[in-house]
Amino acid sequence: MSTGWSLWVMFLVVFNLGITLFLFLWGPWVKIPTLPDGTSGHIWAHGALREGVRRLPRWWLLMSASMFIAGFTYLALFPGFGNFKGLLGWTSHGELARNVASNNVAFAEEMKRFELYPVEQLAGDPAAQQMGKELFGDDCAACHGRTAKGNQKLGAPDLTDADWLYGGDGKSITASIHDGRAGVMPPWASLGEDNVKNLAQYVLSLSGSPYDAAKAAAGKPLFVTCAACHGPDGKGNQALGAPNLTDHIWLHGGSVADIEATIGGGRQGHMPAWSRRLSDDQIHVLAAYVYHLSHRDDATP
Amino acid sequence: MAYKHFEIIEKNVGLLGILIAIMVSLGGLAEITPLFIEAHTIKAPSGVKPYDPLRLAGRDIYVREGCYLCHSQMIRALRFETERYGHYSTADESVYDRPFLWGSKRIGPDLARVGGKYSDDWQRMHLMNPRQVVPPSNMPGFPWLADKKLDAAEIQASMRTLRRLGDPYSDADIAGAPAAVNGKTEMDALITYLQGLGIKNEPTKTTSAEASDGGQP
Repeated sequence: MSTGWSLWVMFLVVFNLGITLFLFLWGPWVKIPTLPDGTSGHIWAHGALREGVRRLPRWWLLMSASMFIAGFTYLALFPGFGNFKGLLGWTSHGELARNVASNNVAFAEEMKRFELYPVEQLAGDPAAQQMGKELFGDDCAACHGRTAKGNQKLGAPDLTDADWLYGGDGKSITASIHDGRAGVMPPWASLGEDNVKNLAQYVLSLSGSPYDAAKAAAGKPLFVTCAACHGPDGKGNQALGAPNLTDHIWLHGGSVADIEATIGGGRQGHMPAWSRRLSDDQIHVLAAYVYHLSHRDDATP
Repeated sequence: MAYKHFEIIEKNVGLLGILIAIMVSLGGLAEITPLFIEAHTIKAPSGVKPYDPLRLAGRDIYVREGCYLCHSQMIRALRFETERYGHYSTADESVYDRPFLWGSKRIGPDLARVGGKYSDDWQRMHLMNPRQVVPPSNMPGFPWLADKKLDAAEIQASMRTLRRLGDPYSDADIAGAPAAVNGKTEMDALITYLQGLGIKNEPTKTTSAEASDGGQP
């Protein structure tokens, strides 16, 4: 605030408090001319209403006085009187910094302990699990669901199974959270509608799902194109994030219609990077929690 | 001044009203006028640019659909907010927001830095029907946005208006608007707007360093 505006605010504060304080101090001592009938002589409605003269009640005086004390104390301690910063030097940013610092202190010891363990080991730690669960609820549940079962309509993978698109070791999970992932399945509608349908049947056959044998046989030679990412046997490729097609786990749905849509229209998977929003410590704990989700039986601290 | 002068105030309702209005407005004059008059001295930080046509259209849809009635775009300097949403909002980030959409109702989460938090597909599914991705959500769906195409002439008109108010749009920017929004739906525009919120304009300093600066109130 410029000096001019600072003076403007100071003037208004002095003016306002000046008037009200004057009335407060002057009121009890003012000489009120009183008529013999005990009124002030101020009359309304041709004398039907007349103003009586009474002293201000004590409770009113006390409450008013305490308001003035509170007001002056506030202006002395906190910023409010123009550019005067207040005797306490309080700012909302300073208070935030103190809160953040005291919170960091509260968690420092535990975080230091968490750092000692690799993700796989930390996954068994109940305190880390609890903290990870909170972070998961805040940041991951929107796509992967509160129970981490994923969302096939969105293409968000189930995190509770043992099937991993980009690898399920601690390092890979940490990388997925830290940097995000972008999965691209190109559209193959250009192959023609029949070929897409035949390929879908062949893909179904890979996982032993019920399929149309004739169509699958027709689709099989076309799979060489798919094999570039999904591998010749359809087992996927974690380096590319290409899903394993031979298990019964489906990222975008496993019905005939879903698979045909996936082949014909392609899919775009997008896991946002969390390095901007979460600290490395938090990502470490979160990775441990995600690891824990798919290894609930072997708890090793 | 003596007591008898008060008789004039007591008996003149108009005068009484004027004097009350003066006393009541003192607080507003002290708190609002300096910020109001000095608002033009706030300059956009380097990362903050005027909205490109598609985002501008999305912003208008955000206003039209009343998103601000449940979502604020103002992260307060409180730990539970900065931890969840990121660095607290600063005035210079909203230089090109006319009108600003800080909001005060916080029924839904704050959106000041929501850009990039979710994928475009997530935003689309969520706007069509929020229950598809967040089962307990009470936000309404906005499926009609996907059916309506954008009107380029309207966006150009609002760009010209904003230029009059001082936003640095060039003639080329305005001329390029139809190409930028060609074939886009209102849904696309809103998603683009949301995905850009706060992404480039987060202060570069970390929360703790910034917070210890003492800061202007």
